[in-house]
Amino acid sequence: MSLSSKKGKIRGKKKGLSKRKGSTGSSGSHGSADLKIPTDKKHKAKAIQEAIRSDPPDIANLRRLAISDGGLLRDDLRRKAWPKLMNVNVFEIPPKPANIKAHRDYRQVVLDVERSMRRFPTNMKEEQRLRLQDQLVDIILRVLVRHPELHYYQGYHDICVTFLLVVGEDLAFAIMDKLSEYHLRDFMDESMDRTRHILGYLMPIVGKAHPELREFLERSDVGTIFALSWLITWYGHVLTDIRHIVRLYDFFLACHPLMPIYLAAQIVLYRSEDILRVDCEMTMVHHTLSRLPEDLPFEHLVSRAGDLFIQYPPSMLAKEAELEFLSSTTISCYEDFEMATNQKPDTVLRRRRRFGNGTAQNGDVKTVQLRKPTNLALKFAVWAISASLGAAALAVVNVVNEWF
Amino acid sequence: MAAGPYNYSYIFKYIIIGDMGVGKSCLLHQFTEKKFMADCPHTIGVEFGTRIIEVSGQKIKLQIWDTAGQERFRAVTRSYYRGAAGALMVYDITRRSTYNHLSSWLTDARNLTNPNTVIFLIGNKCDLEAQRDVTYEEAKQFADENGLLFLEASAKTGENVEEAFLDTARKIYQNIQDGSLDLNAAESGVQHKPSSPRGTQLSNDQPTNKEGCAC
Repeated sequence: MSLSSKKGKIRGKKKGLSKRKGSTGSSGSHGSADLKIPTDKKHKAKAIQEAIRSDPPDIANLRRLAISDGGLLRDDLRRKAWPKLMNVNVFEIPPKPANIKAHRDYRQVVLDVERSMRRFPTNMKEEQRLRLQDQLVDIILRVLVRHPELHYYQGYHDICVTFLLVVGEDLAFAIMDKLSEYHLRDFMDESMDRTRHILGYLMPIVGKAHPELREFLERSDVGTIFALSWLITWYGHVLTDIRHIVRLYDFFLACHPLMPIYLAAQIVLYRSEDILRVDCEMTMVHHTLSRLPEDLPFEHLVSRAGDLFIQYPPSMLAKEAELEFLSSTTISCYEDFEMATNQKPDTVLRRRRRFGNGTAQNGDVKTVQLRKPTNLALKFAVWAISASLGAAALAVVNVVNEWF
Repeated sequence: MAAGPYNYSYIFKYIIIGDMGVGKSCLLHQFTEKKFMADCPHTIGVEFGTRIIEVSGQKIKLQIWDTAGQERFRAVTRSYYRGAAGALMVYDITRRSTYNHLSSWLTDARNLTNPNTVIFLIGNKCDLEAQRDVTYEEAKQFADENGLLFLEASAKTGENVEEAFLDTARKIYQNIQDGSLDLNAAESGVQHKPSSPRGTQLSNDQPTNKEGCAC
């Protein structure tokens, strides 16, 4: 495996990207200096604080900052930004219900939380960890008691613990309450049918970008279960470094609920050389795929996953893979979420219409047209997704500019 | 790579099944790494481990699929039963409910594997004698009535862990020797790998996988 050479390539790429960002931001094509993503941490932190403080909060800008290089940078910024991204009213957090122990999943939640020690910092005192573990049980059950239609799954607590460690008990509950209704909704059905439906996007995405790799994976019969824990825990179960996990959460909170599966596809694509080198045989391929290297270049992967989303949006794949797009509650509810919150990060992306024969190839994004955005928020939204995401995204921005 | 630095004559496929928290992943870890994993997290979907053992002078590669115990994951783990030569069915001797669910796990194992699949019942956590909730005699009787091999073991101390995995392999090997397990049958869970140059092995791989290896 030639990771060092890969890293070299990526470093080169990142340099190019920041250059492009700089030049695009300063070109003034949108007529606002605010749209430039600061390349240094100090200025970016200031921009994040400003987006949080503005009234109403500048969600479009906050999303853009959360996606771009380094994400929301620090946990103190995340504590303020994450609730805003999820449209949480911090002054109206529902109180704890009294009857959590009576819930059907109480016992299992306790068992799972008891063996979640690995997710807490190693230098944390036992007393503090035990207190946080009690809070973790409370957070999960507060959500479950409030939403009897939602079913707990092993891995849900891997997401909760990340929020608990960063924002504390009450805000973690409020964020999980929203996420469970929207982004995680499909995973919380009684059955796993809809979770498998989401996994069903993986191979079509991989196939669009790398047909040979998809053919290899399908010939090996490996399936998609290797990515199950990535998807339903938002990578919390499989990554060891909390800094990587929170960076990904910045990205996911700012994006469409299907973004975790696009990231999974991007990770598989990134590792294509390693995968194609093993025997085309189920066990070996599964073994290779399911073990994530510790040193994945997350900024690069985030940026490329965003590109994949723009090039191959869910609507395109759902049709191609003969998946029922609207059978996902998460995806259909997300439209409600956008309406309710007036946050439209990818409305524009979903509205894209393909011209010609509709077979946009890798890197062929210029053939994709966008309807004229109807308001300024939408215009910013295009930026939020695209400005940070590399060449393909910039091509889209250029197309959009023609409409403004 | 399939062969790695070792040569082996057979590949046996195993599955490990049983309720959540009974110690399936810890048993696998103890067997493959010879270590106890104290803060073993839950398994989501399936995980995979491998080790080469020796039975009657033959090197055998065990491919072991460790399945998630939570009920909701059974929909996805069931597809891994197919073509298993051995099934380790685990309960926790300190939690009776995990023992009471064995008949459901056994039904799945019987329905989804072939009639020759060797099923080994493991009563895990036998180091916790003071908290015992299921007697040895009771479980032994259940195993005998259902034609299962049985041991109590401890993933923590390592007691009987090797024995459970190796006895299963010995039984499978014996079935091959006496002809009751037909290697050519679909989904036998066993692949014969004659030592040969790599190129030949690769060309043999394709049809064998389709039949022998699950999913």
